[in-house]
Amino acid sequence: MRKSILAAGMAAALLLSLTGCGGEETVSHKGITDTNPDKGLAVMGEHVTYDPNHLVNGGEPVVLDWWLWDAPDLFGSIAEEYEKIHPNVTINIINNPWDGYWTKLPLALQKKEKGPTLFNVHNSYQHLVLTYMAPYEIDLEDLKADFFTAQSHEIDGNIYYTDFGVMTGAIYYNQDMWEAAGLTQEDIPETWDEFREVAKKLTIWEDGKLVQAGFNYNGDFQNLLLGVPYQFGDTLFKEDGKTACFTTDGMLETARMLVDFYEVDQVGDEDFGADAAQSFGQGQSAMVYKWGHHYGYMQTNYPDIRYGTFEIPTSDGTPFAYDRYNGEATPGINKNASPAQQEAAQDFIRFYLANTGIQKELCMYYSLFPANNSLRDDEELKENPAIRAVSEHIEEYIWPGAMPSTVESNLGIAAQDILYNKKDIEKTLKTAADIVNVDLANTDFTSAESLYYKYESKGE
Amino acid sequence: MFKKKRPLQSKSEIVLRNIVVIFLVAYMSVFLLIPIIMAFAGSFHLWNPLNGTYEWIGLDNYIRMFQYPTFWTSMVNTIVFCVVVVFFRVLLGLALAYAITSRMTKHKTFFRTIFYMPTVTPLVAVAFVWKIMYNPQFGLIDQIFGLDINWLYDSVFALPSVMVMTIWKDFGYAVILFMSGLLSIPSEYYEASSIDGANAWQTFRYITLPMLKPTMIFVVITSVISYLQAYVPVMVMTEGGPGTSTFLSSYLVYDQAFVKYNFGYASAIAFFILLLTAVLTVLSFKVTGEKA
Repeated sequence: MRKSILAAGMAAALLLSLTGCGGEETVSHKGITDTNPDKGLAVMGEHVTYDPNHLVNGGEPVVLDWWLWDAPDLFGSIAEEYEKIHPNVTINIINNPWDGYWTKLPLALQKKEKGPTLFNVHNSYQHLVLTYMAPYEIDLEDLKADFFTAQSHEIDGNIYYTDFGVMTGAIYYNQDMWEAAGLTQEDIPETWDEFREVAKKLTIWEDGKLVQAGFNYNGDFQNLLLGVPYQFGDTLFKEDGKTACFTTDGMLETARMLVDFYEVDQVGDEDFGADAAQSFGQGQSAMVYKWGHHYGYMQTNYPDIRYGTFEIPTSDGTPFAYDRYNGEATPGINKNASPAQQEAAQDFIRFYLANTGIQKELCMYYSLFPANNSLRDDEELKENPAIRAVSEHIEEYIWPGAMPSTVESNLGIAAQDILYNKKDIEKTLKTAADIVNVDLANTDFTSAESLYYKYESKGE
Repeated sequence: MFKKKRPLQSKSEIVLRNIVVIFLVAYMSVFLLIPIIMAFAGSFHLWNPLNGTYEWIGLDNYIRMFQYPTFWTSMVNTIVFCVVVVFFRVLLGLALAYAITSRMTKHKTFFRTIFYMPTVTPLVAVAFVWKIMYNPQFGLIDQIFGLDINWLYDSVFALPSVMVMTIWKDFGYAVILFMSGLLSIPSEYYEASSIDGANAWQTFRYITLPMLKPTMIFVVITSVISYLQAYVPVMVMTEGGPGTSTFLSSYLVYDQAFVKYNFGYASAIAFFILLLTAVLTVLSFKVTGEKA
C-alpha cells in the first residue's frame, strides 16, 4: 500500500511540476471600497471626454486582469493613474512574452469570465480575438473626431479597438558618413533618382569588396514592396478588397528598382549581412529603410551612432500615397467578463482615450505618430526623428487593413526568391499572390485601402 | 520457446503495476491519442481553434496540399535532408564508435564524452551559434577557410548548411549506440575469425556489421522518424529561406498552424507525414530483412 501511495504521489508531483511552467509575470494589488464620487478632478478630452467624478461599480471592489506583451511598467503606470482616481478598481498587469501571446490569449478568452478583462491588441491578429471582444461604449463620431484613424477600425457600426498611434517607414542615415561624403542637408533626396545618386556617393568599395553600403535593405525588401507601390497609384488589393494583386505596374517597378540598386548601382549587396538594422548600427551601412521602432532599437543597442531621418523618397514628389502605415492599438475588452468588470473596463477605456498625457507617453515610447488629433503638433513628440520624418504628410499614408499574416509571410518569401534566388520578378510575385488568395479565401478579411481619401484617384 | 513468466509476487506489486499502467495509458491518451484523433478530424475542416472556426470542408485540405508548390518543395527537401543526415550520422557514428572501442585507443571515456557533448547541448543554442558561424561578414567559417559565401542566404548552400549543423549535433548519439552494440558482440567471434585468418576488413564485413544489424536498424529508423519531424534548426537558422529553399515538411506544418493559423490544413500535412513515416519504417524493416 505504501508503494502505491508513493507511486501516486510521485505521479501527482510530476503533473504538478509540469503545470508549473508558465511564463507570466503578474503584479497584483488589493481593491478597497470607494465612497467618494467627487474626485475634484477636471473633465478630460475634447470629443471623447472623461469625467472622473463618479463611482465605478458603485464603489464596490472590482478586479481587472490586463494582458499585454510589452512595457509592463509603462502600462502599469497607466493602470496606477486610474486606480488613484478609482481606488476600488484593481488592475493586475499580466505581461506575457510575444511568442505565444496570440495562442494563449484566445484560449484564455475562451474561458469567458476567467479570461482577462482587458488585453492589448495587435491589428494583424484581430481575426483571432474579435469574436471575444466587446465594442467600446463611446460615440463613434466622437472617436472619429479625435482619432484620425478611427474610421478604419469601424466594424458594423462599432469600434472594438482603435489606434493610439501610427508607425510607418522612413530613411535613417548615418550623419558621419553623410558628412564624410561631402553631403549636406540640402542633399536630402525627395525622389528615388536623387536617392540613388546620394546612395552612390555614400557607397565604398575596396579591392572589389563592399565595405560601406550606401543603402542596405536586407531584411526589408518585403516591407518596401508592401508600401512603395502605393506611390505609383497601385494598391495591394483589388477593388473587392479581398483579392491580392502583386503584379501591378507599381509593384513590379518597385521590385525592379530595388534589385537595380544592388545589381546596377551597386550601392549595397544582398550578402552584406542579413539584417540592415544591425549593419546600420555597426556603422557598415549609410542608409536604411526602417519603421519607427528602429529609434528605440538604436537607443538601446547603438546609442553612439549619429543619425538622422528623412521621409521616404517618391518617384515624382506627388505620390498617390507615400507608404503604408500600421497602428498600435488600444486595449480590447472581454465581452464575457462579468458586468462589474465590463463596466470598469469601459470606464477605463474612456479614461485611456480621453487622456492625451497617456497617449503622448505611449507614442514617445514606441516612436509613433499620435492618432489623437490634439497631439498632432506636439513639439516634444516631433523631437523624435522617427516621428518628425513622417509628420508632414501623415495623411498621405495608407493602412491596408488588418492583413492576415499570409500576406507579409508570402511576400517575404517572394522577396527572398527575387533577391537571393534570382527568380523572375513577375512570375514570383504572381505565385505569391496566388498563394495569398487561396489563404484569404478562408478568411473574412477586407482591405481598408478604400477608406484612403485619395482612393478614387488610384491608378491615375 | 518462451520463457516462463514470473508471476507478480505481492499485492503491492500488482497495485504498483496497475498505477503505472493506468498513468501511462492516461498520459498516452491525453497527450497522444486524443490529439491525434482531433487532428485527424480537423484535417477535414476549416479549423482555427483560437477563434472557434470549425467548418466541414471534406478533402479540400488534402487537395490543396497537393496543389501547393511549397508542399512539394518541402517534401523534396525533407527527403534530401533525411537521406543525407541519416547517412552521415550512421557513417560517422559507426566509424568513431569503431575507433573508440578499438584496443589501440586510449582515453576512451574522454572521447566518448567529447563526441556526446553536442548531443546534450540544447538544439536552439547550437543552431544560434552555427547561424553566427555561417555569417558572411564575421562568421568563423568564411574567415577560417577564406571564403565569401552567404551560407544561409544562398539557395545552393542553405540546406546543406543546416544539414551539416544537424549532423554535427546528432552524430554523438549514434556513436554511443554503436559503441554499445560493438561492446556486446562476443569476443569469441573475433577470436574465431582471427584463427581463420580473416583480415581487419573481413572481420568488420562478416562479423561486426552483421552483428550490428539490430543497432543499425534502430539508429536508422529512429533517425528517419526524428528528421521527418525536424523544424527547430530551420526555424532558428533560415525560417525556411531563402524563399522556400529550406522548408522542411514539419516546418511547413508549424508555419501553417502557428503562423497562418490554418490548423486544418496543417493537420492534413501532418497526417501525410505520419503516413510517410509509417511507410518508410515498414520499408526499412523489409529492406533489412527484419519483421515489422
